[in-house]
Amino acid sequence: MAQALARHWGALVIFGVAALVPVVVRDAYFLDSLVLILLWGALSAAWNVAGGYAGQVSIGHAAFFGIGAYSAALLGTRWHQSPWLGMLAGVLVSLAAGAALGYLSNRLKGPYFALSTIAFSQVLLIVASRWRGLTSGSEGIPVPFRPGFGTLGLGHVAWVYLALAVAVLYWGIQVWLEHSRFGYRLAGVREDEDAAEALGIPTRRLKVIAVTLSAALTSMCGTLWAQYVGFVDPFYVFSVDLSVRFALNAIIGGIGTALGPFLGSILITSLETYLRATLSGVKSGFTGIYLIVYGTGLILVVRFIPDGLAGLVGRLRAHLARVHA
Amino acid sequence: MDPARRLGPAQIDVFLQLGVSTVLLGGIYALIAVGLTLIFGIMRVVNFAHGEFLMLGMYLAFWSYTVLSLDPYFVLFIAIPLFFGIGLLTYVLVMRGVIHASHNVQIFTTVGLSTALQNLALVLWTGDFHTVRPWHALTPIRLAGTAFNLSQVVAFLIAIALTVLLFAFMRWTHTGRVMRATAQDREAAILMGIDTDRVYRITFALGIAAVGAAGVLVSPLYAVYPTAGLQFVLISYVVVVLGGLGDMVGALIGSLIVAAVEVAGSYWFGTAWKEIFYFLLFIAVLVFRPAGLFGQRGAENLGV
Amino acid sequence: MRYRTVAIAVSVVALVLTTGLAAITWGQAGEYKIGVLEPLTGPLAGEGKRHMEGFEIVRDLINERGGVMGKKLVFAVADVPDPTAAASEANRLITREGVKIVTGTFSSRLCGAASEAAARHNVIYWETSCVDPRFNKRGLKNVYRTEIDATGFGWYNIEFIVKHLAPRFNLKPNQLKIAFISEDSSYGQGVTESARARAKELGLIEVAPPEYYNFQTINDMTPIIVKLKQLNPDVVHHIAYTNDAPLFWRQAREQNFSFKALVHAGATGYGGSDFGKAMGNDGNGVFALLEPGPGFKLDSLKPEGQKIEKDFRDAVQKRTGSYPFGAHQLAGGGLWLLKLVLDKSQSDDPEKFRSAVMSLDLPVGTMINGWGVKFSETGQNSNERVQHYMLQWQNGQLVSVWPEEFTTNRAKWIPLGAWDQRK
Repeated sequence: MAQALARHWGALVIFGVAALVPVVVRDAYFLDSLVLILLWGALSAAWNVAGGYAGQVSIGHAAFFGIGAYSAALLGTRWHQSPWLGMLAGVLVSLAAGAALGYLSNRLKGPYFALSTIAFSQVLLIVASRWRGLTSGSEGIPVPFRPGFGTLGLGHVAWVYLALAVAVLYWGIQVWLEHSRFGYRLAGVREDEDAAEALGIPTRRLKVIAVTLSAALTSMCGTLWAQYVGFVDPFYVFSVDLSVRFALNAIIGGIGTALGPFLGSILITSLETYLRATLSGVKSGFTGIYLIVYGTGLILVVRFIPDGLAGLVGRLRAHLARVHA
Repeated sequence: MDPARRLGPAQIDVFLQLGVSTVLLGGIYALIAVGLTLIFGIMRVVNFAHGEFLMLGMYLAFWSYTVLSLDPYFVLFIAIPLFFGIGLLTYVLVMRGVIHASHNVQIFTTVGLSTALQNLALVLWTGDFHTVRPWHALTPIRLAGTAFNLSQVVAFLIAIALTVLLFAFMRWTHTGRVMRATAQDREAAILMGIDTDRVYRITFALGIAAVGAAGVLVSPLYAVYPTAGLQFVLISYVVVVLGGLGDMVGALIGSLIVAAVEVAGSYWFGTAWKEIFYFLLFIAVLVFRPAGLFGQRGAENLGV
Repeated sequence: MRYRTVAIAVSVVALVLTTGLAAITWGQAGEYKIGVLEPLTGPLAGEGKRHMEGFEIVRDLINERGGVMGKKLVFAVADVPDPTAAASEANRLITREGVKIVTGTFSSRLCGAASEAAARHNVIYWETSCVDPRFNKRGLKNVYRTEIDATGFGWYNIEFIVKHLAPRFNLKPNQLKIAFISEDSSYGQGVTESARARAKELGLIEVAPPEYYNFQTINDMTPIIVKLKQLNPDVVHHIAYTNDAPLFWRQAREQNFSFKALVHAGATGYGGSDFGKAMGNDGNGVFALLEPGPGFKLDSLKPEGQKIEKDFRDAVQKRTGSYPFGAHQLAGGGLWLLKLVLDKSQSDDPEKFRSAVMSLDLPVGTMINGWGVKFSETGQNSNERVQHYMLQWQNGQLVSVWPEEFTTNRAKWIPLGAWDQRK
């Protein structure tokens, strides 16, 4: 027990602080940023299951996010069902879609896999924005706010705890991946597929399972996001920008580590929110500056700390150990 | 009755026109994709900032036309060396450090570059839409029942010339052979004493010069604005994968195929669905022939 | 050693979390601050910037006249390129900047999320431009919209086609062939579908299903043009964004596609200044439904409307060097209306504000753009009061041509002649 605590002190600190914040802070903007940090972190963790642990780097995960967002929004507005049911529906659809994508793009590697996932999310975007009869087309779907847990009409504090619960769950799934037989074999596939194959590991099946699991987890968060923000816009929920964001948090935080996606999300989400808040109001001519800073920062981070913040912490620790030894 | 479903002698003109449109649109796609396939093929890097360099080329043409009244065809002679230089600079500052890194790092480096350049343009030149209208963009040509304009024809001819030139360069010059050798086996190339850093530098600069030139050439045809590159960048990936990694002629043929799918899809099924056709085609090619339609050896494994 | 790393990590986390906790910036005494959300980056940045200009110009006009509630009006501006940002920034302006009124947002993809966030804080949301018809049908009682919705645009456009164009083509409405083309944003789809519904009621002949396309990926309009050319429509109803309007017009000309009129609605595409800059005289003849343009008769307005409309025009002229464009007018008109409400309520308390909004009853011609005011219980200003006008490109300028009682200019080129004879 103590050993487990020691090993996961980082997660304990982060989730512990997140759990305490609503007790002391009542500022809605701060809580809102915290919800987004946790949600984007959880989404990156979901991405990490495929991208980090299985090495299937996707830039099309917005596809599953969109499926989750639409399932709940459609079931809610058209058939007056609870978003929880919508979440379940979204997960089922995403399981199927994830399996299909995982199966079809099984042989592809590196940039090829990434490109196939982009194409996949684009196809869904086109369907969602043009199939007016079902999805209201590009007008999107406003999600009405109906107070109550069953309808996910919650206050900011409740949202923090809900997002926190999801974040902890996803973090736990990743930790499980690190220590389970499934996870070990997945690592084998990621590091050297040919060797894994030679050892009799069903590499293809493992990759499909990882992508499918990742898709379902992404979809769940998609539902939550749609209920939280209150409007589903196809050009946003299926966008490449969003897919990039999922991957980005994980890469900046430390790809293939359980805590990495959350570290990345803390840094990126607060940086983005902070830069936008401080720079966008300055003068209307200078509004793009925060995105220039953001883009340049991204280049520098992946260049100089490619193993992410988690790796940086690890190196710092090793360095300190050496100094003390 | 829906004319798309009607067939008869009167339709011949329609088919001719659709054919001409396909070829000319394909020329534009080829022009843009050729630099991407070069970089992708030799360096194994998908440049997500490709569209932004195109956009910068369009702005160069716009400002030269507006401030100095220079025709884009004249600007072309400035653009090629200028963008070669920009390519060199970008390589040294940004790409060199990640060329041996994992694909993730490379992908997200170029994504960062794309965001930064897009917003640089926004800050410098605002989000307004600009147009370049030299005389050749206003000169319709009518031929055998079809119509098109001079700028398109020139863009198409230059696309062909560029493809042929790059193809010849890769095949018959020493530098070209060295580049191909590096692409095929980096370790072996290093053992043979090839300066791979120089190869990548030249490749990247050439690719950027090509797309900068493309930006200048398409500026009379499309609006110039900070996110103008997005309009073409996804299509360029489709073209490059279809044509096969680093295959110039493949890119040209791939462009024509994508253009044909787009024009035919738009005419027969409605423009709303045209993109779905080429994305499905793209997925099908990736799944069944990841090496591209013309099958470059083992390209699907080049990912790792 | 372990404890030190823990300590470092904890302080890093704490630092990052508290950067967001920076002190609330209260407005200075004598100032009244409202929140303004506009997309200032991303693909909508161009229009967002013009909206912002409109807001700023009218803010200055308001302050020259003593501000609102006796205080100087100031803005807390936020960039909202996407729905998450819209919700998050609305939260920020409300809780950090302490604003009680939020306005914006240009796009329907943003106004939904932003107003939802404002409603949850029980803060007034004052929309000046998004046109999603469902915006006011969500039962949110502090959400208002000054502009007509997509249904209104569609209604006005078909009204113009049937009442003004059809007689001059010597066609009855049920003889008039119409084709719909549109970019597929929520704006394009909303206006096009409501125009189609209205056209169907009046018996117009729709020659083909509507052609929707994505303005960010349309590279060639020839297939659409070739198809429509064979169907020979009298009127093309085209809702365009800014890059696709010049593309369609250029290629229609190349293909010698002749129709009798092209009608657009809104401040983008054919309704934006960029189209005129792109096309010059070659753009002659295109119609766009908008706020008033040159030729608009000031004396057709009520006296108070004349004064403010003139001052507004002069201020825009001074700032931009040209006649106001739709984006300026939407934002400006909306903000001026907010001032009128605040003059009456003298409070930003939602209840008092609401009763002031509901009690306003001003006829057409009393405000900027010649608008009037009469809000419905759902917080929507009425179609009849938010008077819209048909403008036409004439020699590089977009001028008012309809309704004729409001303008000195008359629509020309009805029907449109050959492409080279529209000088």
